[in-house]
Amino acid sequence: MPDQQRPSDRTASQRAADHAGIDRLADALVPALVAKLGTASLGEVEIREGDWHVRVRRPAGAGARRDRPHRAALPIVAPSGASSPAQAAAPGNPTGPRQEAALSPTVGMFKPGVLAGTRVRSGDRIATVDLLGIALDVVAPFDGVVLEVYPQAGDGVEYGEEIALVQADAPTADGAEEG
Amino acid sequence: MVSRILIANRGEIALRILRACRTLGIEAVVAYSEADRASLPTLLADEAICIGPADARRSYLSAPAVISAALVTGCDAIHPGYGFLSEDDAFADAVRAHGLTFIGPPSQVLERFASKEEVRRLLAAHGLPTIPGSGLLGDEAQALEEAGRVGYPVLVKPSAGGGGKGMRMVRSARELAAILPICRSEARAAFGDDSLYLERWLEDNRHVEVQVAVDHYGQGVHLWERDCSVQRRHQKILEESPSPAMTPAGRRELAERAVRAVVAAGYENVGTLEFLVDADGNAYFIEINCRIQVEHPVTEMLTGIDLVATQIRIAAGEPLGFTQADVHQDGHAIEFRINAEDPAHDFRPGAGTIERLNTPGGPGVRFDSHAYSGYDVPPYYDSLLGKLIVWAPTREVAIARGKAALAELVVEGVTTNIALHRALLEAEPFLEGRFTTNLLDRVGAAAFLAAAERG
Repeated sequence: MPDQQRPSDRTASQRAADHAGIDRLADALVPALVAKLGTASLGEVEIREGDWHVRVRRPAGAGARRDRPHRAALPIVAPSGASSPAQAAAPGNPTGPRQEAALSPTVGMFKPGVLAGTRVRSGDRIATVDLLGIALDVVAPFDGVVLEVYPQAGDGVEYGEEIALVQADAPTADGAEEG
Repeated sequence: MVSRILIANRGEIALRILRACRTLGIEAVVAYSEADRASLPTLLADEAICIGPADARRSYLSAPAVISAALVTGCDAIHPGYGFLSEDDAFADAVRAHGLTFIGPPSQVLERFASKEEVRRLLAAHGLPTIPGSGLLGDEAQALEEAGRVGYPVLVKPSAGGGGKGMRMVRSARELAAILPICRSEARAAFGDDSLYLERWLEDNRHVEVQVAVDHYGQGVHLWERDCSVQRRHQKILEESPSPAMTPAGRRELAERAVRAVVAAGYENVGTLEFLVDADGNAYFIEINCRIQVEHPVTEMLTGIDLVATQIRIAAGEPLGFTQADVHQDGHAIEFRINAEDPAHDFRPGAGTIERLNTPGGPGVRFDSHAYSGYDVPPYYDSLLGKLIVWAPTREVAIARGKAALAELVVEGVTTNIALHRALLEAEPFLEGRFTTNLLDRVGAAAFLAAAERG
């Protein structure tokens, strides 16, 4: 989803502060927002606090998406103005090795493959997306490590959706000056 | 029952279907290609799902992607709009096989009405007059023999075709022999089927079509006719109703014959029967369109009946809910297709960012469009930006309202055909109601534009 962003380029202390913020929001705000969404005829509620905004969107109906953990059915939390993962993973990113998402090749049902932490080579299958019974591969964009797999088994995913975050191996001598 | 529809189309018709869903209390999911991520239907839908890249063959024309999108978003029906998969009986069958409702005729009906040549025979048997024509053409000798029987000039038409694609007019046997292999390869490339047939070419004809709606229980009505004689290269650009070419009695008779024939032939859901009307007022059936059409708002303005909602209700198995006596034809309506194309330069299609858009309003004015200020017109699809429809109690007032609305309509950043529509409303053949399908091509858009400038 275009409005979902993952702050993958933050330092450990920033992340800790972020998580504390998220916890505060999740404990105090999200239940209130969900309740409001339940009673109002709104499709979506968004609030902002500091660097963060929380958007709660009503699940549009029955089906696989109702159970989606990282999309429409649950709050989407993102830092305001955070760059998208693709941008964050630009080769020139000074904070660390290159990170890029492996994308879904089609619209269909997600089937897990490798777990987070698995080493992959460029073109390796990370997972598959089932298009009416045909399994299409989600492949690693380069050699590296799978940091995170976003969907759960059985989730519906769309074409081009970010499926897994892959971090490139340590830069070579050639690439070192970029970092 | 239908409670959540996947809209498998783009542009203004995706938005039109979304509006019908909202009216009916049905949730709408828009399936979009990467090129339409920022289009209005994608932004306004209850949910939107990307089904593929800009290339329509991998998105809007991909039956597996569309059906898969409907399944993962929990939809129970698919609306195909027009074009793309809308009249594909194999697609409709696959939709049904996945437990979903296809918003349109059932697959077996689409199949029965798929071949133009067979449909002409079927509906002729149920009382519709048809243009003298041939069966499917065999080898060259047989084609020449058929052409001699039909009478020159003849139109060579692909059996699987639509939208005027691949049609050629020839005036002699020599021309026909030369063009046959070209027509075959064009038809094969465009439709995957190189079957051809011939039709007598009517030199100065009008295009008049009858809108019908037939429910699952065989109850059918007509919703009168539309005149689509203003065309460039067989593409309609302006439609109106009632047809200025026909008498009230002639219109009624044609519409009643049309609905009788399709009900008898087992048609189901909304559809349009296209006729050519010659200079003497004789109507000849040419083809049926088994889908909602671009120009359907003309009929909605005259009858007050929501055709897309009717289409959805019929597909859901509901009875029509109204009878012929409820279908009134009040006043006069004109639709202007606003295309991103340059009429002064051979209708060259345009793309780019709409820098500014001002849409017209006022009594009897409707504007159906997916465009907005800042919208990027993608270069991958047809050039239709929107449709301006005006209604008034009489044709004269409708033309006046059309002029006023076209003067208010501002589209900056992309070249459009708005100037041509303004010119048409000043042109005598249009004002006198005697526009024929070949007039714009014969005279040339530039001549109409120049005449309007001279005032």
